[in-house]
Amino acid sequence: MKPPTTTSQMFCAARVLHVGLRRWSTSACLLFLAALCFLPVLPAAEKSVAYREVPIDDYDREHWAFRPRGRVPVPPTPTSDWCRNEIDYFISSALPEAGLRPQPPAPRRTLLRRICIDIAGLPPTQAQMSDFLSDPKPDAWTRLADSLLQSPAYGERWAQHWLDLARFAETDGFEHDKTRPDAWQYRDWVIDALNENMAYDEFIQRQIAGDELYPDDPTARTATQFCLSGPDMPDINLLAERRHTLLNDITSTVGEVILGLQLGCAQCHDHKYDPVSLADFYRLRAVFEPAVQPKQRKSVSTLEEKFPYEQTSHMMLRGDFQRPGPTVRPGILRVLSPPGREFVPQATQTSAGRRTALADWLVSPDNPLTARVIVNRVWQHHFGRGLVDTPSDFGLMGSSPTYEGLLHWMAGWLIDHSWDLKALHRLIVTSATYRQRSLLPPDATASDREAWNAALTADPDAALLSRYPRWRLEGEAIRDVMLQAAGHLNRKAGGLGVRPPLPDELVGTLLKNQWNVTPETSEHERRSIYVFARRNLRFPIFEAFDRPSSNSSCPSRNVSTTAPQALHLLNSEFSLRTARHMADAIRTDHSERASQIEATFLRALARPPDTDEFQESLHFLNQHTVLAGNDTDILTHLCLSLFNCNEFVFVD
Amino acid sequence: MNNRWQNRSRRRFLVHSGGGAGMIALAAMARSEERATLAATEFCPRARRVIWLFMHGGPSHMDLFDPRPVLTKYAGQPLPESFGAVMTRRNVARNPLLAPVHPFRPRGESGLEISDFLPHIAKHADDICVLRSLHGDSVNHPQSVYQMNTGSILMGHPSFGSWVAWGLGTENRNMPAFVVLPDPGGGLKGGPPAWGSGYLPASFQGVTMRPGNAPILDLQPQPGISLQHQKLNRSLIHSLNQQHRRLRDSDDSLEARVKSYELAFRMQAEAPRLVDISRETDRTFALYGIDHEETREFGQRCLLARRMIESGVRFVQLYSGNTVGWDAHVDVNKNHTTLCRRTDLPIAGLLADLKQRGLLEDTLVVWCGEFGRMPMSEKGKGRDHNPWGYCAWLAGAAIPGGRAYGATDDIGLRAAENPVSVSDFHATLLHLLGVNHKQLTYFHNGLDKRLTGPDEAHVVHELIG
Repeated sequence: MKPPTTTSQMFCAARVLHVGLRRWSTSACLLFLAALCFLPVLPAAEKSVAYREVPIDDYDREHWAFRPRGRVPVPPTPTSDWCRNEIDYFISSALPEAGLRPQPPAPRRTLLRRICIDIAGLPPTQAQMSDFLSDPKPDAWTRLADSLLQSPAYGERWAQHWLDLARFAETDGFEHDKTRPDAWQYRDWVIDALNENMAYDEFIQRQIAGDELYPDDPTARTATQFCLSGPDMPDINLLAERRHTLLNDITSTVGEVILGLQLGCAQCHDHKYDPVSLADFYRLRAVFEPAVQPKQRKSVSTLEEKFPYEQTSHMMLRGDFQRPGPTVRPGILRVLSPPGREFVPQATQTSAGRRTALADWLVSPDNPLTARVIVNRVWQHHFGRGLVDTPSDFGLMGSSPTYEGLLHWMAGWLIDHSWDLKALHRLIVTSATYRQRSLLPPDATASDREAWNAALTADPDAALLSRYPRWRLEGEAIRDVMLQAAGHLNRKAGGLGVRPPLPDELVGTLLKNQWNVTPETSEHERRSIYVFARRNLRFPIFEAFDRPSSNSSCPSRNVSTTAPQALHLLNSEFSLRTARHMADAIRTDHSERASQIEATFLRALARPPDTDEFQESLHFLNQHTVLAGNDTDILTHLCLSLFNCNEFVFVD
Repeated sequence: MNNRWQNRSRRRFLVHSGGGAGMIALAAMARSEERATLAATEFCPRARRVIWLFMHGGPSHMDLFDPRPVLTKYAGQPLPESFGAVMTRRNVARNPLLAPVHPFRPRGESGLEISDFLPHIAKHADDICVLRSLHGDSVNHPQSVYQMNTGSILMGHPSFGSWVAWGLGTENRNMPAFVVLPDPGGGLKGGPPAWGSGYLPASFQGVTMRPGNAPILDLQPQPGISLQHQKLNRSLIHSLNQQHRRLRDSDDSLEARVKSYELAFRMQAEAPRLVDISRETDRTFALYGIDHEETREFGQRCLLARRMIESGVRFVQLYSGNTVGWDAHVDVNKNHTTLCRRTDLPIAGLLADLKQRGLLEDTLVVWCGEFGRMPMSEKGKGRDHNPWGYCAWLAGAAIPGGRAYGATDDIGLRAAENPVSVSDFHATLLHLLGVNHKQLTYFHNGLDKRLTGPDEAHVVHELIG
């Protein structure tokens, strides 16, 4: 942790002053403020006279994230043979400036577990281990990366990253927390889109305007559930309040997720720091207004365009649904579009085309943010943190990128490669930067050790990537890895969310019939992404390990370390049952204690035990045998203990 | 500005678990050393801990703590035109007015009027201060449950207890700072997010506890796993972790995880002791009504609340009422008779016990629901939801008792005199804890979020004396 630098604070102060002076220097502005207080009683014509929007100027456009795209030169090829692709040129040329140097690759076993969990969310299988570890060809790593990206497990893991952003759950929340019967289709759509490597521009377009763009394709309509995946209150008396809340949530979420801008602040007043006005917010919201018409007591699902739509759109003063202000026309953020660019939707026979126009703009070359934001998110999940540490805030209050040139270059690269996400993953994981070791081996030379220790001081969080940053698995991955280690993961894909049994104490906090256990028990061991996502009750292991609340978009999860996590992994019925299954499977394959121990380590940690660990495990099993008097459950304790050790929940 | 930066870096600190971060996140479980960067010392706290009695469903203020004689006088007649349009949940605006079910009487030396529904709490009239002009924003249950708990009618905001845990930590390193004792009937409207941590880290959410052998989920090993087995497992885990960490530059986040296991084992020992009431005296049992069927369940939880705060838990919230709870749409008398009988004696016992142990001086006791009820009748003898004016009461924290603050109009429809919004209420409670509500912020989604929201909120000094 570092306190903010003086420069950034000063910059911020300068920015506030800049906006402040422009906003308050004239008495007209003060009059505007005064007028604002009386707006609700004024007729519409007078209202629009009163609102004065601060124009965007060059200063606003200077912020690093808002600058137009341009060619970014790759640093010259260095003499070192460490580099494998362009990413490495950027990193290896920048590290020396901080007195740092890159690290050589981690051992093959470490790399194998890293990439398997990172891309597929599952530990390496026995076959993957023997194939990769004995593959002498120079392209073994690339082929491994490709095979992982081709496996359905890739979409099942990376979809969760997107669902966090989409504040996805399968129920409404609030009192009745009713099930949205088709929400699982959106979850499957995201998984499939990733697995089929849908281009990211199309991925976005479909979620904003799929129904308009592909009227004959029902899955395109499903994609628009992105907009309405948040909480909703179908039961509330005031339908107008409900619709207002939904629309503001859509607008804020689109801003955060796709543009990396915290527009939500501007629903009540001009953004304090970013050049986003109240009018900007409600212009963007107006794009969605024809498509959101909630009906009393009915859950929302996909966008449904009303056409023709003749209602005028208003700014809502102080974000209050009962205080409509001046009228606005649909539009895009001024700071991200060239001066004078008009927002001109093309109407079709069924739609005003507002969302199509928005979607086109979001992914157009004019828009500098969309590619930068997604490149950063992909990077974030490969390294545990983004180049921009505030992945949903590229505005003035967000962090500056650690390697701005690299971010811009990758954004351009993605667009040049037709927004091909799998190609981007491949580019990243085949870099030498990704393959660096995260720890210094005990037999390192004195000079390596010296450099390593210096790097721990100069780059304490590995934010500069002078080594690979260690990261902890998410709750969903911990559960999947446990099931896989036990050989009990049901790999069935897609379909209705499953409800494994929950402790009575938890079910008791819900209304009746809100957690009807899925009758087919083999379904209980499906991958975590298929566990029914109830908004009012997160699944216990996910909740303990920081799954976000799904009430607002979550760009990066907290990583907390708490006693309830320990209690769950040690004592839950799930942990014990899975450890038993694992022990059973190992006993089936191995009758000798020595090979049982080795198999346990391989399944849980993707490596054999070292001599000390082996001896200690042997001693451990003997002690349990003495205690129990028979050895039916002895191996279970070894499995359970390995589930709980640090190495199991961290990736090196 | 400064404060925001501090919170902001703090947030990143937690999110990215870099050097030392895990320590703080761990301390989150029992954070006595590390606190939010608020100016807690700005003024001297009058309360060090809170017991919050939440009457789920919406207890009827005009039948319990807000005597409205005019309502008795006009019973059976429609709401006078002069009251204007009223938004109600179930369209009861034109229904005849319903008189308070039971008479009110002056109680104690102060003469504070309390209904015959609550003979036991009435004996503590001189210790409690009734707020009669509280008002909220929604006629719906979950929105109001969220508002009373989180300050917002929308989902996803941290609850009061989470803010307090984040701001003040716990005084017992073996226990969480924020404990919730839900009604065993379940079905709170709005569900567990009512005690959720919203955008604060998960470790600040309310930990639900129950009486009995398994007070916390997964606290004890599964059947068949003895403590000796567990001891062996624990020692292997520890040893593997130590070696793992030695090779990894003594990474703090790894060390934090080792500590979290130690804390888990301490909780395993401490939590059952805390909920084990078998050594309490018969006198205590009688005081809380644990010796009677009707009051046993709520009495046990009141006793647990006292034991928790006594052992240093910062914030305990008790819920009374299952899915229906105090939601007396059909028959106020029937509904409230049942729930008052269950809770009246235990709450009186809790107040008496806190007082005799000297705990009431610096413990704040809060009683409220998510809203009150309408003066108009529903289905003859029931009442609909009323967020426009209702009651809460406070005790302890050196608040002068035997008083009422604010007033509803003549019939109890709306807060009329010295109205207090839920945000004002929250600001006032935080003030009692020594916390300036404007200082208790968390940087999230580009904004400094706070419990009391972006709008103005005021500490009501006259309320707390």
